[in-house]
Amino acid sequence: MTCDEARLLIGADPHAASPELEAHLQGCAGCARFRDEMLTLDAHIRRAMEQPPDSGRARARRAAAPWRQWALAASVAVATLAVIGVWLLRPTDTLAHEVVQHVQGEPESWLAKEQVSTPEIDKALRGAGVQLELTSDKIMYAQSCWFRGHYVPHLVLETAYGPATVMILRHEQVRTRQSFREGGLSGVIVPAASGSIAVLAQGGANLDSMAGLVQQDVHWQP
Amino acid sequence: MRNSPPETPVSSIGDRLPGPDSGAPLAQLFESMRPDLLRFAHWLARDRATAEDIVQEALLRTWRSRKALKDTGAARAWLLTIVRREHARLYERKRLELVPLDELTEIQAGPRPAEADGELFALRHAIMKLPIEYREPLVLQVLGGFSTEEISRELALTPTAVLTRLFRARNKLRVIYGLTPAPDATGPGGAS
Repeated sequence: MTCDEARLLIGADPHAASPELEAHLQGCAGCARFRDEMLTLDAHIRRAMEQPPDSGRARARRAAAPWRQWALAASVAVATLAVIGVWLLRPTDTLAHEVVQHVQGEPESWLAKEQVSTPEIDKALRGAGVQLELTSDKIMYAQSCWFRGHYVPHLVLETAYGPATVMILRHEQVRTRQSFREGGLSGVIVPAASGSIAVLAQGGANLDSMAGLVQQDVHWQP
Repeated sequence: MRNSPPETPVSSIGDRLPGPDSGAPLAQLFESMRPDLLRFAHWLARDRATAEDIVQEALLRTWRSRKALKDTGAARAWLLTIVRREHARLYERKRLELVPLDELTEIQAGPRPAEADGELFALRHAIMKLPIEYREPLVLQVLGGFSTEEISRELALTPTAVLTRLFRARNKLRVIYGLTPAPDATGPGGAS
């Protein structure tokens, strides 16, 4: 481990610990001093941030979550992998995985009972620079969601087979259709004129047919 | 503002929960997290009123989908994630009005504390001044207890980019304590 790598890890999380880092610190007084400084600073940062808003009183330091040690270990492991460039080799199916995770993070999207108004739909689409001309299906949920560094429309359509989620991914390119099944959801991601479109459902919806319709109905603004 | 019409304003989410399916313990659990959520939202939004709106919305959203919560041990991380997403949405919906930062921190920090707390005051000010791309991962890590990997998933960044941003955030704060900033060997981007 080099000094740059050690200081990146320490600067990102002064409590980070790994055999590699400890071995480096044993032989590097400069990095050991850097960690001591960062630990002191971090204690102050925590104190500063744990004060309730609008109050000058400091609160007792919140006990660390029990899984934090595991989280720290995981972050060090991930960092080491990242440093050697493993991240660059990440498989393309992470897009599908992240779409599923995002949808699972908004379970209320499946529960909407009322059709979304046109202005609300427009608002959800605006950030992505798309327009939609759906005529047959009802849009029951429309949000503009932060996904992979961009705002993307996240819609739920009521179909004959139950609700189906559509995410319009202007900034995600896929070469060919990808299908997936994860966490009780089935889905497809299909290439579109500009970016791609993901369609997911819990039931037996005809995803390809829906994706095809959405492909036709989406108008990509320049 | 939201997809569905707003429900009754919730001063206390517990007030809305009577009913056979509700489960008061869950309501109490959510309510007990309100101070944490407010503090978290406050550091993201840098505005108390906005933070309260965000938390209110997040609690409503969480309550509507409470049946999806299988493990109450995961409630805190779930709520924090929803708060962060609400904050991100707010940026897009409102294009928040910009307030001069000095004015903002003067208003929100309240009266300047005694000299003994001067460093803390300066640090709070410096954290407030951090650009959102550095402040957000720092808040997620310090207040949220999220790991690098979790932050990278939530912010759609690579783990390397998260490490870089956390490093740079703390590096900026070093100066407050009269420490020399560490050489930044992380490259120019810090993004995915």
